[in-house]
Amino acid sequence: MTISKLLVANRGEIAARVVRTARVKGIKTAVLRHSSEQEGPAHLIADEVVTIEGSTPVAAYLDIAQIVEAAQRIGADAVHPGYGFLSENAAFVAALEKAGITFVGPTSEVIDLMGDKIRARAFVEERGFPVAPSAIEDDDPATFVERSRTVGYPLLIKPSAGGGGKGMRVVREDGALEAEIDTARREGERYFGDGRLFVERYIERPRHIEVQVMGDGQGNVVHFWERECSIQRRFQKIIEETPSPALTAEQRDEICETAAGIARAVNYRGAGTVEFIYAQDGSFYFLEMNTRLQVEHPVTEMVTGFDLVAEQLRIAAGEGLSAAQADIAQNGHSIELRICAEDATQDFRPAIGDILLLDEPRGEGVRVDSGILDGGKVTTDFDPMLSKLIVHGRNRAEAIARAREAVQNYVILGVTTNTGYLDTILAHPDFASGDVSTGFLAEQADTLTAPGEDVSDLLMAAAALSDERLVSDVMQIPEMHRKMGGWRN
Amino acid sequence: MRRIYQIDGEETECWLSHDGRSMILNTPDGAIPCQLDAAEAPGGYTLRVRGRTYDMRVAVGPDATFVHLNGRTFAIGRVDPAERLAGNDGGAVDDRIVAPMPGVVVSVNAKAGDQVKEGQPLLVIESMKLETSLTAPRDGVIAEIPFAAGDSFGLKATLAQLAPEEE
Repeated sequence: MTISKLLVANRGEIAARVVRTARVKGIKTAVLRHSSEQEGPAHLIADEVVTIEGSTPVAAYLDIAQIVEAAQRIGADAVHPGYGFLSENAAFVAALEKAGITFVGPTSEVIDLMGDKIRARAFVEERGFPVAPSAIEDDDPATFVERSRTVGYPLLIKPSAGGGGKGMRVVREDGALEAEIDTARREGERYFGDGRLFVERYIERPRHIEVQVMGDGQGNVVHFWERECSIQRRFQKIIEETPSPALTAEQRDEICETAAGIARAVNYRGAGTVEFIYAQDGSFYFLEMNTRLQVEHPVTEMVTGFDLVAEQLRIAAGEGLSAAQADIAQNGHSIELRICAEDATQDFRPAIGDILLLDEPRGEGVRVDSGILDGGKVTTDFDPMLSKLIVHGRNRAEAIARAREAVQNYVILGVTTNTGYLDTILAHPDFASGDVSTGFLAEQADTLTAPGEDVSDLLMAAAALSDERLVSDVMQIPEMHRKMGGWRN
Repeated sequence: MRRIYQIDGEETECWLSHDGRSMILNTPDGAIPCQLDAAEAPGGYTLRVRGRTYDMRVAVGPDATFVHLNGRTFAIGRVDPAERLAGNDGGAVDDRIVAPMPGVVVSVNAKAGDQVKEGQPLLVIESMKLETSLTAPRDGVIAEIPFAAGDSFGLKATLAQLAPEEE
């Protein structure tokens, strides 16, 4: 089949990013917009904008019936889910199938399997791939606490239906175990409607390394090498890069082949990412598989030269993979920075505000995937990520230098963002040497949020002189004095 | 012509004047002759202070001025001292827990009349999908917790109020 009209069931930067590739391929595009939502970049470049309703904007983007109906109404023959929202929702895929619309992604069975962390883990373990010591509540709920103790401390509690770090708790001592299980269960119930948990050994100073895979659903699977995403705050990634500075060539082959093997075992179709936890001794364990495009996919595109959305659309249209494994090479180094509306000095508290001035960096090896427009409003309706800054360099040092220059020149005024914080991370000697773990930001919190050079005088001068009312009041005074004859100079 | 500027939580009261030649920012640490000229880039300005020039980008919001300088972004809160006096409601800031973000109350762990210790969790809120525990800012007695579990609240809503400290 060919795809002639694609509905992107997402928003923000990823909606715009998918539309750009679809347009290049000559596919008509439609994007969604909640009735209360600000206009974003995707709305300007898509052929069509479909208004959706819902009690909250997020609820509208999660409304399967409404989105499937919209796709039918506008005559879309395929839906790209982006990431988040309905991208890993098996019921959505089933509803599209029933409506005769192609889902750009894997089958609902694979989404179901990989979406259930417990089943996914068991599946991977049974086939001989490495997993960390664990206890699964469902195996025998009555003994869950006891079995958790035998996993050993420190341990990590996770909701079985979880993702994005929500509800995850590290427990370092036995006394805190039961209380933390209760909290994690509550969060699991609230975020995912599912309070089942599992516990696994927490690897100290681990690195997060993941592998981009792509399958045609006909048994052919290739990988597009790894990404390292160890720079995380609150279990959420904010800097990603490829290649990983931690891996030797042999380790890289081993971890990438393991990921491809896992994807082959489920006869994977579409783009997916196999995430691993990588220990300081070089051992690695399966963490989870994300059955969708990742936020950080652009770094893979920058070093391999492949457009992963174009590959997804090819596979969805039944055209198969465009490349064999031998054709996919890593060229140079790429880093992605997630630009978020948040205050890094206040425990990453999300920030809101109006974007008064926006000026994105440009230059060789610089790419910006943005979800915001000048004059837009940043609200709490959605995730705080505003855009992604991606750079490419011939080597890691050049990529870091380019990333620093670009993020310093990324002007977003009107809402607090993490651009300065990201630059401080890039400037840290441990980041430069690649000696990081997923705990890096927490360990270095004081260094990374230390106040910079005191420029208060300059800032107050700028604030005063750009304050039109203040300046005009001051300029009235000499006039008045002159009139009274009291002005001398 | 006074303004209170808030930078990183620190407040400085300043006033602006003109000596016939140049604008002067009068700060508690001294008078600073300064000049701001528009530059080419959107929102671009050149600031001249003490013989040095600084390229910056400036955007003026309703309550704060935003400045991009040397690769960093700063927010400078602006308060008119006269307006602050008029709006003073008399409650000491330390007596209140104010919502840092709009959100939903997850649980309430104290009630009016309770004696609480500094750091004791009073309520758990959820904002932007993250759970945060809000704790008592000092030892004291709860005067009011106006929200119940499940209630939504807006930015800067008072989530808990302590009874005034007795002298």
